[in-house]
Formats: sequence, C-alpha cells, structure tokens
Amino acid sequence: MSRVDPQLSTAKRKQRTQVFTSHMAHASLERQLAALQTAKIDLESKLREKDVQIDRLEGDRRWLAEREQAEREEKERERTEREEEKRKSDTEIRSQRNAMRALREEFADLEDAHSTLSRQTSQTIAQQKAEISTMSRQLTRLQDQITEMQIIADDRSRAFETLQSQYDELLEAQDNTIARRSGEDENWTIVREELHRQASHLRSVEAANVKMTAELTVLRQRNASVEVLREQKRELERKLTAAEALNEKVVKLEAELEAARREREEWASNSTTPSRTPVSVTQSLSNLRLKNARLLEEHGSNVALLRRREMELAESEEREKELVNTCTKLEKEVEGLKDKVARADQRSALAEREVGFLQAMITSFTAEEAAQEDGDTTRVDSATRQRVHDLEKLLSEYKENSAKLEQQISDLGGDPASSGDMRPRKQLVEELEEERDRRIKAEAALKASTEVEEKHLVQIDKLEQTLFELQGEIGGGRHLPPGVRVLSLRDNPASQWEDLSRKAMERVKSENEALLKRLKEVEERIGTGPVNHGGEELVPRQSFEVAVQEKEELEDALKQKDKRLMRLKQIYAAKSEEFKEAIASILGLKLAFYPNGQVRVTSIFDLSASFVFQQAKNDDTGMTMQLVGAGEDSPEEVDQLMRYWVQEAQCIPGFLASITLECYEKSKRNA
Amino acid sequence: MATKQAPTRQAITLKGSTNLVTEFFKYAANTILFQRGVYPADDFHMVKKYGQTVLVTQDLALENYLEKILKQVNKWLLTGSVTQLVLAIISKDTRTTMERWVFDINLVEQPESGDGPAPAKPESEIQAEIRNILKQIVSTVTFLPVIDEPTVFNILAYTSESADVPADEWVDTDPLAIEAGKSQQVKLRSFSTDVHRIEAMVAYRYEG
Repeated sequence: MSRVDPQLSTAKRKQRTQVFTSHMAHASLERQLAALQTAKIDLESKLREKDVQIDRLEGDRRWLAEREQAEREEKERERTEREEEKRKSDTEIRSQRNAMRALREEFADLEDAHSTLSRQTSQTIAQQKAEISTMSRQLTRLQDQITEMQIIADDRSRAFETLQSQYDELLEAQDNTIARRSGEDENWTIVREELHRQASHLRSVEAANVKMTAELTVLRQRNASVEVLREQKRELERKLTAAEALNEKVVKLEAELEAARREREEWASNSTTPSRTPVSVTQSLSNLRLKNARLLEEHGSNVALLRRREMELAESEEREKELVNTCTKLEKEVEGLKDKVARADQRSALAEREVGFLQAMITSFTAEEAAQEDGDTTRVDSATRQRVHDLEKLLSEYKENSAKLEQQISDLGGDPASSGDMRPRKQLVEELEEERDRRIKAEAALKASTEVEEKHLVQIDKLEQTLFELQGEIGGGRHLPPGVRVLSLRDNPASQWEDLSRKAMERVKSENEALLKRLKEVEERIGTGPVNHGGEELVPRQSFEVAVQEKEELEDALKQKDKRLMRLKQIYAAKSEEFKEAIASILGLKLAFYPNGQVRVTSIFDLSASFVFQQAKNDDTGMTMQLVGAGEDSPEEVDQLMRYWVQEAQCIPGFLASITLECYEKSKRNA
Repeated sequence: MATKQAPTRQAITLKGSTNLVTEFFKYAANTILFQRGVYPADDFHMVKKYGQTVLVTQDLALENYLEKILKQVNKWLLTGSVTQLVLAIISKDTRTTMERWVFDINLVEQPESGDGPAPAKPESEIQAEIRNILKQIVSTVTFLPVIDEPTVFNILAYTSESADVPADEWVDTDPLAIEAGKSQQVKLRSFSTDVHRIEAMVAYRYEG
C-alpha cells in the first residue's frame, strides 16, 4: 500500500490541492460575480437614476421649449400688435396732418374773410357815422320845428281856452239873459264860424305837419344823395385842378399855335412876294453843298489812295531790302564765280601756252622731219611719236592733278587769300587749335569739379546721416533746441490717467490708514484678552508678508555672501599652497604659518631641522624676523651657524641658506 | 500791380495752408491712435477724406481734446511760432514713452527773385502727398514693435519762447524722451504747401 500509495497519495494530494484551488478560484469567481452583480445593480440603479434625470431634464427642456415657444408667439403677437398700432398711429397721424392742413387752409380762408369783413364793417361804420351825423343835424332841425309847432300849439290852445272862457261867459250870459238870445244866436254863429275856422286851421296845420314829415323823409334821402354828390363833386374838383393845369397847357399851346399860325401867315404873306436874292443864295448854297460833298468824297478817295500808296511804299521798301540782300548774295556769288573764272582763265592760259609749246614742238619736229627725210625718218618718227605720246600722258596726269587740287581748294571754301568774308585758313586753323586747347582745359576743369562734387556728395551723405541721427535725438525728445518751449494741454489723457492712478493710490492709502486705526481700536478693545500677551501687537497681513518677503530676500543675499566667502577662502588656500610649494622647490624650505603670526621653517632635506620665527616689531625699522625656537634634535653645526649668522651677522636668510647647504650635504652623505 | 497783389495772395495762402496743415494733423493723430491701438477700434468710424477712407474717433472727450489742441495750433501756425508737434504714446503701467510721432513744421522760404510769386501748388498734388503720409503711417504697423500693454497718449507742442500761450490751459512739460540706447527712428514722407513744409518721423523704443 505504502508503495502504491505514494503516487496515489501524491495524485490525491494534487487533486485535493487542485480541488482546493478550484474551489478557491470558484469562490473568488463567485465573489467577483457577486461584486460585479452588485456593481451591475449599482450601475443599473445609476442608469435608472440617469434615465430619470434625463427624463426630468427632457421634461424641463420640453417645458422650457414650450415656454420659449409661447414667449416667441407672444412676442410675435406683440410685435404684430405694435406694428398694427404703429400703422394705426401712422394713419391717424396722416389723417391728423391732413385735418391740420385742411384746418390751416380753413383758418387762412377765415382770416381772409375776417379781414374783408372787418374792412366792410369799418366802411359801414364810417357810412353809418356819416348818416348819424346827418340824422342828428336833421333831428336838431326837426326838434326846432317841433318846438315851433308846440309854441304855435300853445298859442292855439291858449286861444282855445280864451274862446272856451268866452264861450262859458257867453253861456252864462245866455243863461242870464235868455232875452238876449237872438243877439246871442248871432254871437253863436260868429263863435261857430270862429270855431270852424279854428278847427279847419288846426286840420290844415296837422296836414302841414304830415306833409312836412313826408318832406323830411324825402329830404333825408336827398341829403344822402347830396352827400354822394358832394363826394363826386370833390372828386370832380380834384379832376378839375388837374384839368386846369391841362387847360393852362392847352392855353399855352394854343398861344404857341396861334403864334405859329401867325408866323406861318406872315411867312405865307412873305412867300407870296418872293425876292430874287434868296433864290440865288439857296442855289449857290446848294451848289456849295454839292461841291463840299464832292470834295469830301475826293478827300476820302485821296486818303484811301494815300493809305494804298503808303502800303505800297512799305512793300517796296521791304522788297528793296530783300533786293539788297539778294544783291549782296549775288555779289558774293559773282565774286566766287569771278574767282572761278580767273582760275579757268589761268587754266586756259596754261593750256594755250601748252598748246603753243606743243605746236612749237610739232613745228620743230616737222622741221626736223623735213630736214631728215632720209632713211632715219621712220626711226626718229617713231621715237618722237613715242615721246609725244609720253608727254601727252604726263600732261593729262598733271591736268588731272591740278583739277583735283582745284576741286579740293573749292571744297575748302575757295582760295584762302581771296574769299571776301571768310577768314584765312591759317587763322581758322589757329582758332581751331585754340579751341582744342580750351576744350582740353575745360575737360580737366570738369574732371576736377566732378571729383570735388563726388567728395561733396560723400560729405553730404555723411552730413545727412548725422542729421538723421540728430533728428532722431530731437525726435526721441532727448535734445531740446534752444529757445524752444515744450507745451501740452493741462488736461490731457496722460495726466488724466496719472490723476486717476494717484487718486486710486491715495484712496488705498487712506483706506489703509483707516484700517490701521480700526486695528488699533480692536487691539485696545481686546487688550486684556488672551491673544495679546506680553505687549505683542497685531500686524497687518500685508506688511507681515512684505516683511517675510524681505526676510527671504535677505537670507538669499546672506547665502550668496557666505558662498562667495567660502569660495574666496578656498581660492586663498589653494593659492597659498601653490606659493608654499613654489618656495619649497626653489629655496628648499617648507613654511608653516600659525595663526599667532609665528612661522615654522623646515628644510626639505632634513625634516628634523626646523626653526620657528616670529615677527618682531621694532619701533623704527618696521618688521624683522626673530628666531624663537629650534627643533629638538638639530645637528651640532646648527649651534655654530646660529651663533654666527643670527647673533653676529643678524642675517637670517644667510643662516637659512647655510642650513640648507648643510642639510643637503648630510642627506647626500646618508644616502 | 504785381507787388501790390502779392501780399493779399500771400495772406490768403497762409490762412489756407494753415487750415490744410491743421486738418492734416487731425487725421494723422486719429490714424495713429487707431493703428497703434491706443483707443479701442470700436470707437472709430470711417470717413471719406483725401480720396480715401480715414478712421476718425467718436469718443467725445477725445474729440474735444483734439479740437482744443488744433484750435491753438492753428493760431500758432498763423503767427509761425510752433516748430514741432509730437504725439507721444506712453505705457500706462511703467510710464515709459513707447513711441513719439514727430511732425516738424518748417516755413517754406519764398524765392527772392523779382519775377513775381512762384506758381501756386495745385491742391490735388498736396492732397496726394498727404494721402501718401497717411498710408505710410498705416504701413508702419509692419515694423514697429507690437504694443501689448495698455497705453495712453499725449500731444506736445514745441513753440518758440516768444509764442503767445494761454497760461491757464497750456503748461510747460517734460519732453517725454525715449532712453538714448533704446531709441530707433524712421523718417516718413513729407508734404508741403506754398507756405509750410511738414516732415514726419517716428521714434520708438526698441530693446533688441
């Protein structure tokens, strides 16, 4: 078993472990699953929340969108309303304006009507006033008449009363005296008659009164027409005055006319008896006039002629001038031609001479020929012919030459000696030379001046550069030309800004002061509290920060200083080391400096030979070295040397040098 | 006759020339303030002038300020007592001068020869010269250093000692110089009327 077991057991163990691990894994997976499920549930719940939130938000959004829509609609509606109102108001305004215009027109019409009416009323008033005045006049007249009538009526009534009284008396008398009735009857008849008369008179008076009132109305009307007539009369009078002036004129004119007529008559009477003299005189006059006219005409024609003549004269003068010019020109030409002719003559003379010479030659030849008509003739003849031919050739060549030369002369402007207005050629040549010299000089001068100009240009360039720089100085405001003031408006944007910032600064300062004050107050109030102990004061945070910052800066500076000092020390130490080494290698001495000012000197050849020196202060000579101590196991010779060099010679360098020598030899010996 | 007529013509040209120069300063200052961004670009509106479009400020305070200065400058020009006008652009924070736009004003010397006054320069030619200067001011943006901080400006007038100065408005001031080692300058075009010659230049601070 135990043999079989191991494998089995191992297998079992493995299986168990695997089971265990798988179990563990399962468990862990389950855990994870559970965790994931919870996570999932969480997430789902979150999702649900989100959904809910989203729904809510959606709802909100929809609500807001609806609100917005509604608002927009409302706005739209309002706008339309506004527009409608505006349109309405516009139309209203337009109608109001139209109405106003119409009213204004009406107003104007009314004003016109008013003015016309006022004019009419004033006229009517004037008329009525005039009427009133006439009426009042008539009234006074009528009142007078009435008073007269009353007086008459009073008289009548009085008369009537007397008659009544008489009648009463008579009645009494009748009563009393019936007997006297017959007499009374008579009286009665008389009375009746009288009464009748009175009544008729009264009636007639009344009729007269009525008639008079009728007349009065008629008269009133007449009076009005009279007024009108008077007006017309006044007008006519005015016209009359004008007419009178005209009349006067007419009279004057008539008088004149009359005078003229009379004169004419006189003239006529005179003409009826014409005398002889006037006719002749008039005839002569007319003759003279005719003559005068003719003379005038002649004069005009003469003047015209004169002008024409003058013109002709001027023209002829001009022509003369031209002719003179052409004359001189022709003369010059003639002279040239004469020259040419002379030359041709010369040539012809030359040719004639040649011809003569040749003829002479020919005659001599013919003579010779005649003389030698024997056998030699043919030879001579041919020779002479040859010669003649040569000579003729020569001649023609010469002629050609001379013609060429003449041509050249004429090309050069004729004979230099002969030409009239032209200068001789020599002179021309001289002048030409002079001109050339002058030209060369001028060119040299030009070159010099161009050089100078170039120099000047360079200088100008330099000067312009400096000018530009100096302008920059002025433009940059660093240089102020003398006699110039720089001004600016007192109230400019820069100063405004400055004022503003200064104001802000001052405000901040005052605020700060107030705060400090407040702080002090607070401190005083809580002075007994636990915060403030040992006279400690509250410091404003700002100033504390400033102080902290300052402190940091100072610390930085200190650190930098320390660093520098250290560096210096290091450098100093390195330098002094170098120095010591240099001394050791050159003098064979090692030096060690002590802080108390002593110096220890050791020879490099014998380290046991060391001496200590100290600076001794003498009052007069300044500083000297003084041997203070020597090494313990120094060689024996050192004492001697010390005595000699230090005590007797007082020369420490010598002492050291001899020590060095001694030590060197000793070390050499030991080696 | 010619000698009698000359002074009146001179007087007319002086006045006309002064007005022309003053107007030029107005448009030049506006162009500089716009191009250099001293005021926001929204403050400016376009105006036709000298046959081209020029931007002019709508800021009332600035307009008043320029108007006041130009009025006085016009007076000085008539008496010939102003020699230079400078528009300085200053940093708000450090108060250093960034740019100085310098306009030199020179009186043109009349030729002394006896053959009457020189023929008047046609206005169209003067306008062309002014147009060229304004265009050059616009083109200076290409080489001037970029200004990326808030700035403010001031206008200085260089006048003679004898100039008539309204004391309550104008004060003597610092010339707002640019540091010597950090200054560069560029000469711009010039223009001239029959009476005045204006030479433009810009000096600017440049730390290369």
